[in-house]
Amino acid sequence: MNIVEILISGTTQGAVYCVIAMGLSLVYGTSRILNFAHGALYTLGGYIAWYLMYGGPGLSFGLAFLATLPILFGVGVVLEAGLIRPLRRHPNWQINAIMVTLGLAFVIENGLQLLFGPKTKTIPAFIEGGISIAGTTVSLYKIALVFMSILLVVLLELFLARTRAGKSIQAVSQDLQGAAQVGINVNRVFGLALGLSVVLTGAAGILLAPIFQISPIGGWSPFLKAFVIVVFGGLGSTRGAMLAAFILAFLEAVVVATVGPGWSMPAWLIVLMVVLMIRPKGLLGVWEN
Amino acid sequence: MKSKTHTDHSSPARITSRFTGDHYVRDSLAFLGSALAVLALGLLIGENYVFHILILICIWSAVIAGWDLLIGYAGVFNYAQLVFFAVGAYASAMLSVSAGLPAVATIPLAAVIGGIVGALIAIPTARLKGEYVALFTFAVHLALPAVLQQTRGLGTGGSTGVLGLPPISLFGQTFYAINKQAWFVMALIVAVLCIYLIYFVALRSRFGLALLAMRDAPAFSEALGVNGRRHQIFAFAISAAITGFAGAFYAHYTSVVTPRILGTEFFLMAMVMLAIGGMGRFPGALLGVVVVILGNEFLRSFDSYRLIVLGLIVILSVIALPEELGGFLKNRMRKRRA
Repeated sequence: MNIVEILISGTTQGAVYCVIAMGLSLVYGTSRILNFAHGALYTLGGYIAWYLMYGGPGLSFGLAFLATLPILFGVGVVLEAGLIRPLRRHPNWQINAIMVTLGLAFVIENGLQLLFGPKTKTIPAFIEGGISIAGTTVSLYKIALVFMSILLVVLLELFLARTRAGKSIQAVSQDLQGAAQVGINVNRVFGLALGLSVVLTGAAGILLAPIFQISPIGGWSPFLKAFVIVVFGGLGSTRGAMLAAFILAFLEAVVVATVGPGWSMPAWLIVLMVVLMIRPKGLLGVWEN
Repeated sequence: MKSKTHTDHSSPARITSRFTGDHYVRDSLAFLGSALAVLALGLLIGENYVFHILILICIWSAVIAGWDLLIGYAGVFNYAQLVFFAVGAYASAMLSVSAGLPAVATIPLAAVIGGIVGALIAIPTARLKGEYVALFTFAVHLALPAVLQQTRGLGTGGSTGVLGLPPISLFGQTFYAINKQAWFVMALIVAVLCIYLIYFVALRSRFGLALLAMRDAPAFSEALGVNGRRHQIFAFAISAAITGFAGAFYAHYTSVVTPRILGTEFFLMAMVMLAIGGMGRFPGALLGVVVVILGNEFLRSFDSYRLIVLGLIVILSVIALPEELGGFLKNRMRKRRA
């Protein structure tokens, strides 16, 4: 395998990992919830889009994609208000939140299996063909995937930096008490963060459907990867997650090319261990604890 | 005095120096008495299905007791408990199937290996604080199936696991898995030993006091000369050894080991046991085990809806009972007394 292939694979994977991991990091940063249903929600995005395209309305890919995003946002807001908010009154709510989201992952996963069956579903790529870069053929879909992922990430960053709602998310993640004192509706920010997070992970689920297909339990692998990326990048830092996503994606590409595809996860774990030993708060982590 | 405290804990062999806490003898007798009651009850019913459920309760009790030691008493949010269980199960499986050792030898060896792995995981973990402990240990848990997949060549069997573990042979007698009664008695002995070791030996010793001190006032106890890092690593080793022991026993009972024991279903169940029962309040966690195992058996009639229902129960019970069953019962009793 040549260096060009590694570069291309690292870039495409990194861009997609970015989208999934930033969603996880966003929720962790603002509301301190480690959302174990993140992977199940990734799958949910794929299934909703599949249903809109082939199950009922028969929309085109683009329309289905756009129609799914507000649904996902609504799911996130409802989940926050219905499941997470009641937990916050109790001192050990963080563990309870982990259990509730883990239970939620089970419900979503098995619910999807009952509704759609255990067989994988597929969404065809909206563009076919490929181009040749330095002797390596790259499918056009992968290039489109990179652009759409980067677009999502840029939109998120702009939202966080430029809009009032985005700034309130940042304020809450920096200082919850202070944000509440200056009149920010903290509960609304929590809902917004989880809604955006579900949109990001669900969008990744749709975009990756042509490559990995959709299956009820297909969300655990992206969740696991996003999880390692977020810890590696540092909790509460979306920039750190972005950086970590690309570093780990390139590492994965190198490992896959030299040792074998099954070794990427163990390699990630070793890197994670080393980073945590040297820098216990991750690459760009903001919390010492 | 301060320096003495320090040296007292330098070797694990000297832990049993002093037992603390009220009603040590009374509580011990109550515990052993209820274990005998379970034994009598099981033998009286004498039904294979009941034996099977009691065996599961015994094995999980040992695991959850080990977890409770770390999460509830040492205050370390370790999410790698099932890693220890899997390490014990796989160690015993590989030693007995690949190396041909008898189960009586491999199960204690598995406990030792489990303890070593526990200490190895504890060394980096002891450097971390707060949620990073949870994140790191859970990353270990999540990565283990991938590692098992890749170490197929060493005898882990990849995704199919290890098949055909030998039954336990003791005193010239072989106990096949079909002999549920014998397995129930063995499982009960294992569980009683493990639980007693954790709640009545380790936690009631000065080591246990040091763990509580580390949990409640880390800076102050360090100032008094408690070596927090060493205690934490040692607590991991004890917890992992006991959990590994239970895992090995479980593996020989089912005679197969697959990466399924690291799946989300098992993790969710273990977590719910601890959460329903309550952490750090003996015997809450053990009550949680009983409730969850019985509930799970009851849910079998739901068939393909079982996992959905299990998930829903978890969500609803956490929202409705955030103070855990142990706390709930305690509050009820306090109210009744008042």
